[in-house]
Amino acid sequence: MTTRVRRSTLIGFLGPAVAALLLVGIVPLGFAVWKSLHYFNLTKIAQSRFVGLENYIFVLTDPVFWQAMGRTALLFAISVPTQIAIGLTIALVLHRPGMTLFKTLTRLSLVLPMATTYAVVGLLAQVMLNQKYGVINQMLGWVGIDAVNFIGDPTNAFIAVVMWDIWQWTPFVALVLLAGLSTVPPEIEEAAELETRSPWIILRNIQLPYLIPSLVAVLILRTADTLKLFDMPFTMTRGGPGAATEFIAILIERVGNRQFDIGLASAQSIIMLAVTIVLARLYIRLFYREVR
Amino acid sequence: MAAVTQKRGLALEALLLVEICAFCVFPFYWMVTTSLKTQVVALQSPPAWLFTPTLANYTEVLFEDKVGIALINSIIVAVCTTALAVGLGTPAAYALARFEFRGKTDLWFWFITNRFVSPVVLAFPVFLISRDLGLRDTHLALILMYLTFTLPIVIWLCTDQFRSIPKELDEAAMLEGASQWRIFRSICLPLAMPGVAVSAILSFIFSWNELLFAYILAPKAAKTAPAMAVTFMEGYSVPYGKIMATSTLIVVPVLIFALLASKHLVRGLTMGAVK
Amino acid sequence: MKMKLHASVLALSSAAVMCAAGAANAWSLEEAAKPYAGTTVDVLFLDRPGYNAAKEMLPEFEAATGIKVNATTVPYENALGEQVRDFVAGGDIDVALIDLVWIGNFAENGWIEPIDKFTSNPELADPELDMADFFPLVLNAFGGWNGTVYGLPFDNYSGLMFYNACMLKDAGFDGPPATWADLKDVYGPALTKDGKYAFALQSKRNETQSADSFARMLWPFGGSFLTAEFKSNLNSPESQAGLNFRQDLMKYMPEGIVAYDHSEVVNGLAQGDIAMITEWSAFYSTLASPETSKLGDCLAVAPEPTGPAGRKPALGGFSLAVATQADDAEKAAGYLFIQWVTSKANAGKYLELGGVPARQSAYADPALAEKYKFIPALVESWQAGVPEFRPRFAEWPEITEIVQEWGTKMMLGEVSVEDGAKTIGEKMEAVLTTAGYYDGKKPLAQ
Repeated sequence: MTTRVRRSTLIGFLGPAVAALLLVGIVPLGFAVWKSLHYFNLTKIAQSRFVGLENYIFVLTDPVFWQAMGRTALLFAISVPTQIAIGLTIALVLHRPGMTLFKTLTRLSLVLPMATTYAVVGLLAQVMLNQKYGVINQMLGWVGIDAVNFIGDPTNAFIAVVMWDIWQWTPFVALVLLAGLSTVPPEIEEAAELETRSPWIILRNIQLPYLIPSLVAVLILRTADTLKLFDMPFTMTRGGPGAATEFIAILIERVGNRQFDIGLASAQSIIMLAVTIVLARLYIRLFYREVR
Repeated sequence: MAAVTQKRGLALEALLLVEICAFCVFPFYWMVTTSLKTQVVALQSPPAWLFTPTLANYTEVLFEDKVGIALINSIIVAVCTTALAVGLGTPAAYALARFEFRGKTDLWFWFITNRFVSPVVLAFPVFLISRDLGLRDTHLALILMYLTFTLPIVIWLCTDQFRSIPKELDEAAMLEGASQWRIFRSICLPLAMPGVAVSAILSFIFSWNELLFAYILAPKAAKTAPAMAVTFMEGYSVPYGKIMATSTLIVVPVLIFALLASKHLVRGLTMGAVK
Repeated sequence: MKMKLHASVLALSSAAVMCAAGAANAWSLEEAAKPYAGTTVDVLFLDRPGYNAAKEMLPEFEAATGIKVNATTVPYENALGEQVRDFVAGGDIDVALIDLVWIGNFAENGWIEPIDKFTSNPELADPELDMADFFPLVLNAFGGWNGTVYGLPFDNYSGLMFYNACMLKDAGFDGPPATWADLKDVYGPALTKDGKYAFALQSKRNETQSADSFARMLWPFGGSFLTAEFKSNLNSPESQAGLNFRQDLMKYMPEGIVAYDHSEVVNGLAQGDIAMITEWSAFYSTLASPETSKLGDCLAVAPEPTGPAGRKPALGGFSLAVATQADDAEKAAGYLFIQWVTSKANAGKYLELGGVPARQSAYADPALAEKYKFIPALVESWQAGVPEFRPRFAEWPEITEIVQEWGTKMMLGEVSVEDGAKTIGEKMEAVLTTAGYYDGKKPLAQ
């Protein structure tokens, strides 16, 4: 039930926003495509030249690029299910009636991690995880665990990034799922509680269908954010040690900002963008029904 | 017997809640206390929980290291981009919610795709463009680039909000001969204020937190606070107290904003997918 | 407005010319700077002792000249990127801060002015400049490229061995190891115990990996990055010996050494957890100060150990040069600043405030060696060295990334020393091919 309007009105309403996004989104993108077809290094501008698809061929056959992609996928595969599992538990606890004040406080504290500046999360992680001065190792010491070298060991550094990703985004997942739970009609829940005492059965048969939109939203947004993930590992490990935490955005930043090879970095980011768009379309096709 | 189990259940639940709170809040506690430590105390092993606090780190970063200026830059950029995003985004959202036109689905898809694009894709070309246009190291360059993520937020939240306003209001006004613009400005926009406010707060938070564009496009005069925090990471010495003082100064404003918007934050962050 | 400013600068400088003609031999900083009062000179600084010393000295310069020096502090890891982007974008940096490995790059891109443009100008050149007073190795390596001097050495380092003499004494050693082999085979096992380590080699994946870790082990064993024909020399028996030695030496280093940057190893020594480190001379002040170090009198300094190929200590440091993108007033003012801060007259003060000057005259007083224990070792290290310790050509920024990646992989055991060296070699040669070294387009200079 929508209105048909005159073209000029439509342009009046939509024009400025579309123009702005064209200007800041599409023009640079076009520029990136153009540069990706060139050898273009900031420290050797004089030698810039058209090289066709050379950069793309290099990227597509470059194990370093695909390792970074794989690492990004691995991060997603470990941290998102964990976030959903813990987040769901938190949401279910908060969804239960009683202790209202206490639960409001908890809900407020859940807001904090996801709003925290991502770069600061990385700095904070560095301070708290330090092998010698870090409070986390001190706490591990209290329960009899030897100090762990979080930042210096490739596996541990990866685990540390996963841990902080979980810290920052589990509250988000919990709140999204909680919002989903609140869409379950209370009568149905109450009726079910009379039938069975098992919260598991209630979850599976009554609540889960209402949670599907929330879960989809979580998946879509976590995919996008994992592909974009830059600030936190950049300030925590800078992709190290070795390449243990070199995720895709960190790799591209390194090539463009430290090797100054903008042509290559552009090709890498166009390929990453293609992957992003394919994933986004896939998700939206599969799950979203918002479009009218 | 049942009462005992119930009591124990409640105790368990309370314990869990405390743990969740501690899990979320403890890093902030540690950040703030570390910011009050001198370098010697900050580098104590094992870490000190009780110590004489000092504000020296704050005075040092604010006045000597120009973090104060960076914070002002952050405010300028975040406020301007938010205002711009709201100004451009609300009419577009209204159109998406109310009008029928060809290509609406594609337009919608294009908007949502922007939420997915990594800044790293745009940062280098924008650096080269801003160099040619003389926009390098200006607030304007950042304000414009931040539209790439603030505009979709505003459009999406507000489209949702406009849809929830009864169409009958529009139709009644139309019968009285009001133009679309008038209906938008005088009837729908005021009613959509809650959604607009939330999208504005979120735009502010996202712009405030942004690092990559700021790091590449604004190296000096327009340097924002997150980019400033990164500059303390010199391999020669790691001033933990100063880093944490800067971090605290960056984080406190967003946390206040986030708490203000906490009721609507989820809906905003999920682009209205969850109501 | 800008035109007007130029015009007045011009008028002022012609006035200065006339004055100078009147009193040619009475050069003074105040007179020379008169036309440029009010000019702002933009430069990047690092957060290191030498820069902090210079910052303390700045008010004096600004008061004497009316020139404002606007120093922005950045981390080393960002300094190259920020300058490259600034120069490419025609930004506002007037004085370039040049790590010795960037000089080829900056010079070939035409981003910096040769110094003789200013030293040959009697208006600007201090008669006391005395270029011959700089350690020749340091001047050529830090400030020179392909026979032309661009920058004057400002923040100067040599690799030195800092050690905890008390720990060595307790283990029965009267002095530091003379050779790398001794360090590994004799000192290593004796000093690595009870949670303490004999040695730590900063090896983080950034310039530290290439400069402090990788290159440091190549040269003393007779290895090098490149052959005379600019092909990879990393798989030569000598280079391999050096890299394998580094691998073996890791037994006596703390775990996770690939995450150690300067601050971690320096702090390890300062806290008494590590017995010996090879670090830049600039860390002397950090290690000697009771505020940052527990060492006290236990701190001792020696030149780096020798290898089969002799003593090849790490060489690093920064020079300051005038940027071509500056306007004429900024160039002149920038030069005056560079000349002043690196001058013979200020060297003593710079040293006192924690800097390390490259002036031979600054170290002539034997009493200084009492006060600054690093001086004899430093002077010895600067007598002879390898300017191409890391090749200084324009391709280094690309090559160092390759070395950083594969060098750390090697240390972590993710790739064997031989295969890692081969990979670095292949990738390095690919970069050099693109640059045109093999088809005679470019002279083989490093």
